Parts: sequence; C-alpha cells; structure tokens
Amino acid sequence: MPVPKWFVVARNEYLIRTSKIRKIRPYFPFLVIGLLTIYVAFITPAFVNLFIDEFIAFFLSQAAVAVVEIILFLIFFYFIIIPISNTLKEVQTEQQEIVLAAPIKPSDILLGEFLGVMPFYAIAAIVIIGLFTAVLNPLGLDMVQIGMIIIIFIVTFFSALWIGTVIAAILRTKFGKTARGKDIGKALSLIIALPAIGLMYAIIGGGLLEALADPGTSGMVEAILGLLPSSWGAEVIISFASNPGNITAVGFETLTRFGGLVAFFVATLWLGAKAANRAYSLEPTTFISSRAKPDGVFYKTIKYLGGGGSFGTLLVSTFKGYSRRLQNLSYIAYVVGLLVLVTVFFMQPDYPEDATIMGMFLFPILAAFVASDVTLRGKDTLFIYRKTPSGVGRFVKARLVQGWIVVVPITGAITAVSTILIPQTTFISLLTNTGIMMLFVAANVAFALGLFLLNPAFSDKSGNFIFNIFIVPNVWLGIFIISILVFDLPLLDSLFYVMIPLSWLLGIVFLYLGKRKLSRIE
Amino acid sequence: MKKVLIHIEELSKYYGKGGEIKAVDELELEVYEGETFGLLGPNGAGKTTTVRLLNCIIKPTRGTATVNGYDILKEETEVKRVTGLLAESPGLYEKLSAYEFLKFMGALYDVSRDILPERIDDLLKLFSLDDRRDYLLEGYSRGMKQKVLIAAALIHDPPILFFDEPTSMLDPRAALMVKNLIKGLADRAGKTIFICSHILPIVEELCDRIGIINQGKLIALGTVDEIIAQTEKKTLEDAFIAITGGVEERELLAWREQKGAST
Repeated sequence: MPVPKWFVVARNEYLIRTSKIRKIRPYFPFLVIGLLTIYVAFITPAFVNLFIDEFIAFFLSQAAVAVVEIILFLIFFYFIIIPISNTLKEVQTEQQEIVLAAPIKPSDILLGEFLGVMPFYAIAAIVIIGLFTAVLNPLGLDMVQIGMIIIIFIVTFFSALWIGTVIAAILRTKFGKTARGKDIGKALSLIIALPAIGLMYAIIGGGLLEALADPGTSGMVEAILGLLPSSWGAEVIISFASNPGNITAVGFETLTRFGGLVAFFVATLWLGAKAANRAYSLEPTTFISSRAKPDGVFYKTIKYLGGGGSFGTLLVSTFKGYSRRLQNLSYIAYVVGLLVLVTVFFMQPDYPEDATIMGMFLFPILAAFVASDVTLRGKDTLFIYRKTPSGVGRFVKARLVQGWIVVVPITGAITAVSTILIPQTTFISLLTNTGIMMLFVAANVAFALGLFLLNPAFSDKSGNFIFNIFIVPNVWLGIFIISILVFDLPLLDSLFYVMIPLSWLLGIVFLYLGKRKLSRIE
Repeated sequence: MKKVLIHIEELSKYYGKGGEIKAVDELELEVYEGETFGLLGPNGAGKTTTVRLLNCIIKPTRGTATVNGYDILKEETEVKRVTGLLAESPGLYEKLSAYEFLKFMGALYDVSRDILPERIDDLLKLFSLDDRRDYLLEGYSRGMKQKVLIAAALIHDPPILFFDEPTSMLDPRAALMVKNLIKGLADRAGKTIFICSHILPIVEELCDRIGIINQGKLIALGTVDEIIAQTEKKTLEDAFIAITGGVEERELLAWREQKGAST
C-alpha cells in the first residue's frame, strides 16, 4: 500500500527542518522527549514550589480570567504569526512546480506541511502546558480536569498553527510570483510582530497586569478577548481552578466553551482544506509590473543637493534603489513603531531623560538598518562600482548622503515630538536635544555604513547582518554605562562630551576602513 | 499508423482583464508515440505555459488535451502519473541530499518501496552522482542540480517526458550529457519526449518534428527540413527569424549614430 501523500510531505518537511542536525537526527526525538520529561517531571514542579502561595492567590483572584485570556491570546497570536512571518521572510514558490506536477492533492500538501513543522511547535506547547499544569496541580484538580486543560492547550495551539500554516501558504502563493510580491512579504514579516510587541510592552511597562486587578478593567478585557477562541479555554481553566475536583459544578460552562473550541478547530481544519487549492497554484496573480514615474520635485531636489552632475544622478539612483524596496521602509516603520511603543509604555513624565536614553539606543538601530542596504543587494552590485572610474569613493559618499537624508530627519522629528511632550520644555532645550540627537545619529550612519562594508552582510539572514545590527547600538550602551558609572557624568554631558565626539571618531574611522575593504572585496 | 500520445485541441490560456494576454491561443497539435517533439519559440512565446497545461499544473481557459489517452481536465492524477517534467527553473529542496530528494519524489509518484532504493541508486550512478548522494543539494553545481532534476523526472519511469529548456543553464559538457541522455531515452527506451527550447541546435539535433510558437500561436509545424523549405531559407536559424521576426542587422548599431555616442 502506498504511503499517504500528506505523510510524504510531512516527512520531507521534517527532514528539511532538521538538516542542520543530520548527524543526530535519529536520536533527536528521543533527546527532546527525554529533556521535556525532565522539564515536566522535575523542573516545573520545583519552580512552582518556590512561588506556590502567589500562584494559588492569583488563580483565585479577580484578574485571573483576564490574565489567562491575555496569555492564551498571546500564544494563539504567536502560533499564527510565526509560520506566516517565517514564510514571508523568504517567499519561495520555486519548488511548487515539481510538487504540483506530481499526483498529489493540494490539501495533502497543506496537511503535510502542517504536520511536518508540528513537532517543533509541540516542543514550545509542551513547555507552556507543563508550566501551567504544574501551577494548577496544587489546587487539587482531578485527572479529568488536568486532562481537559491539556487538551484545551493542544487544541488552541494547533488550531492557531493550522490557521498560520494556511495563511502562510496562501500568502506565499500570492506574493511569491513577483519580485514586488516577495518584497511586500519581507516588509510584512517584520511589521506583523509589532502588535504582539505592543501587548507585551503594555504588560511589562504599561501596568496592564496591575490594571486588571480593577474589576472594571478586567471585565472590559474579558469582554473583548472573550470573543476569541483562545479565551474560551481560559474560562474553562479558571472555572476548574475555582472548583477543583468538581467538574459537574461547571458542567454547562465547560461543555459550551470546550465544545466551542473543538468545533472551532474542526471548522478551521475544514476551511483550510477548502482553501488549499488557492494556497498551491502557479496561476499568475498579477500582470502589472511596477513602472517608474519621471523624477518629481523630490528627486530633482536630491539631485540638486548632490551637485546636479553625475554624482547627483548617482545619489538619486541610490535613493531610488533604497526607497523603492518596501523591506527597507518596513525597517524604518519597525524602529519608529518600537520607539512609539517604548515612549507610550515606558516613559515617565518625572524622568524626561528616559526619551533621550531610548533614542540613544534605538536611533543607532535605525541607522544600522538603513546602512545595511549597502551590501544586502549582493557582491555583484558592489562590483559595478568597483568597475567604474573612482566608483568606490563616489558610491560610499552617495550611500552616506542617502543614509543621512533618510535617518536624520526622522530622528529630528521624533526627538522634537518626544521633547515637546515633556512638561516645561523650553525652546532652547528642544533645539539642543534635537540637534544633539541628529548629530549623534548622523555619525552612526557613517559608523554603520563602515561596519557593513568592513563586515559585509549579503543576506538579512546571515550572521554578519545580525552581528552588525547588534553591535551598533550596543557600542553606545557600553560607552554610556562607562561614562555614567565610571566617570559619573550627567546624561547630557555624557552625550555631548563623550558620545558625540566618539561617534564621529568611530564613524570616520570605520568609514575609511570600510571604503578600503570595499576596494578589496573578492 | 502511429499512435497519438499527446492530442491538443484548441488549447488556450488567457490572462488579465478580459483575457487580453493570450499566453497560449487555440493550440492544435499531435505528438506521436516514441517521437521527440520540439516546441520552439522566443522568450514569452507560450512554451512553458503549454507544458504546464499539459502537466495539469495550471488549467486552460478553453480547449483541452489528452495525454496518453487521459483528459487533462478530467483525469489530472492519471495524466500526472504518465508524465515526467523537468521544469525550466524549478526549485530544489536545497536542504535535502540528492538521495533524500529522489526518495521524496519517488514517494510522491507512488514508486513501490521495494524498487525505489535500487532505482535511486541506478539513477545516481547514471548521472555520476553516486559518490555525492548524501551531500546537501545546496552545495551542488548548477549542472549537478539539473542532473538531479532529470533523475527526479525519470524516477517513476513515465512513458512521456517534458523537458522545458533542458540545457539552457548548463556548461557544454553537462549539456552534451543531457543531449545524449535524451537521445538514449528516445532511441533505446522508446520514450515520447516533448522539448521546449529556444536553443536551435539542440532542437535541430534531437527532434523528429518541431513546432514554432509565437505569441501563443503555433505558426509552423513539421520536420526541420520541412520548415526550412517552407521559408525558403538555408538554416533553421534563418527560418526561425523569418517566421518569428527579428531586428534587422543594419539597425543593430543605430545607437552609435547619435551625436557624441562614440566618444
């Protein structure tokens, strides 16, 4: 009897995902099962014992339902988002042709892809379930209740993962056929994480958990999240916690909520299978090619700023190459989004310098993202400039100016707004803060540009890319800590006398070294 | 009388609003058993769309076709079982080894588990890849990847093979190997082969008959000699240009006539 096709695809998916650990692949499942058993049997009970009174008090408190709803919603959301984000980061449809030419139904491909990645998500699910059951166990829940809680988690997680897999497959088909679509995918992969980050910041810094102690607030959160299937399980879990060992006391509620969750899972499976034909198709989705418009006032101004001649043309071309890529714009949107979230949830009116400190670390990240484009387009692009007379110098100069044009105004605007929001801000302090931050970030563009040329990242998934993005802000974190703690300098003095001169020094040195490296890249 | 293995009837594939883009337009064609047929055409002529239609990867707007007697609209699974496809720019699963990839493809085509390992070994030996069978495909050269893809197209030993630009990305040595393989498959294994290409010498050397397609329409059909004779040209290249149109030689350097362009 032939092996079911979904199993063939699932096995293939599993092999692809474990290709990096091929040598230990035969033992991998046993290793994972062993570690998870130790975690569930020993680690979580020991951890829970440390905080047993707090946990019991929490599950019997007013805020419990809302908090568990939020936790389950976050996990539900992440299980949907992660497969989508992973797919969008690198949309690949090239393999579809050989698979679609084979006698296999699209629904089997979809199911196989889902089952192939499921073991890895199951690890995360077991970690979470293990912790929850360990926390609930001291309340005296019976085996049926514990079993149902485990099923609730499994159904919630896997319905989310299934939804994520279906959406990812549809988006892959939608975006994968054109360069523009792939670009949109990459841009979305970053942006879709922002809502979840916002919710996390609201919990950590925004006092959301404290606010949930208020019956009005928790009731409102419950009402909103109660519409989502992730919350139906949360209500059952909390009702079990309130009635340990007595499932009949909450029989009707359990039946409706639990039944609703299972029905939701079955419905998503059915709808996903129905959508499979759309998820795997090589039919073209668009015939509209992106078309460049004649240069408007903006590009004419940039050309003018570049001296109007051949360097002006080079600057405009560099700018167009950068700004027409949505992935680049998504980096900017992401960092700006983070800044807004940090300002909203972490900034306190009594500590106006918080905004400056946040800016000191987040603006260099923005500079690093913008500068990263210099090598991300590949070695061949760099060789074009190497081939032309004085190309390297003009290329680096154009990239530097382009980076400044993008990063400095954004930094200026955000710093000005966050400074105005501080009570009793004077016009002078507004100008000083904004000016200092613009100077600092301009130097960081040079530093990041030099770093990316010195340590080129030809892919946004490469270790060099992550390393460079990590290094740029963390250099300032280190210098900031030294100047504050060792030299005991006030914040503005540290920024003005240490960080700005150092940033320009680093910028000039790295840019020089990077330019030299560019002439030698092979 | 020769048996018709591929029978195409008014096969059309239109795209865009109101179907203004005619990728394939009322194609009528028959390919006989054991024949090597070449579909020739410039880029964007509709060759790949035709192959995708005949392999049930996409659906026609109008018309139909039968492949080994199976209707592409009603008997998709049967059509897929009797065809092997080497796509123009297919993606490999780069994180798999050649052996793992061929095992995956064999399982997709329901090749029996009793014969699959031996067949994979035979194909890897045929393509001189047996010493690299456990290396990940990401480390293979372009020619080696093409060999793996051809092996994948042959894994279920189908009677009909579609090769879409089989040598376009290969170096001369690998291209020669592929050419010899196609010849062998046709002459000694009796396969029916459908080749799409714009590389004229390949088609000229391998194909019993050719069809020339341009803007979705089949505009010439016959043996190489017949097509050359129809156009009253000396070579297939000249005949192809005469049929599909091309840039006149005198226009090629017109850009240099512009003032100051030669400085």
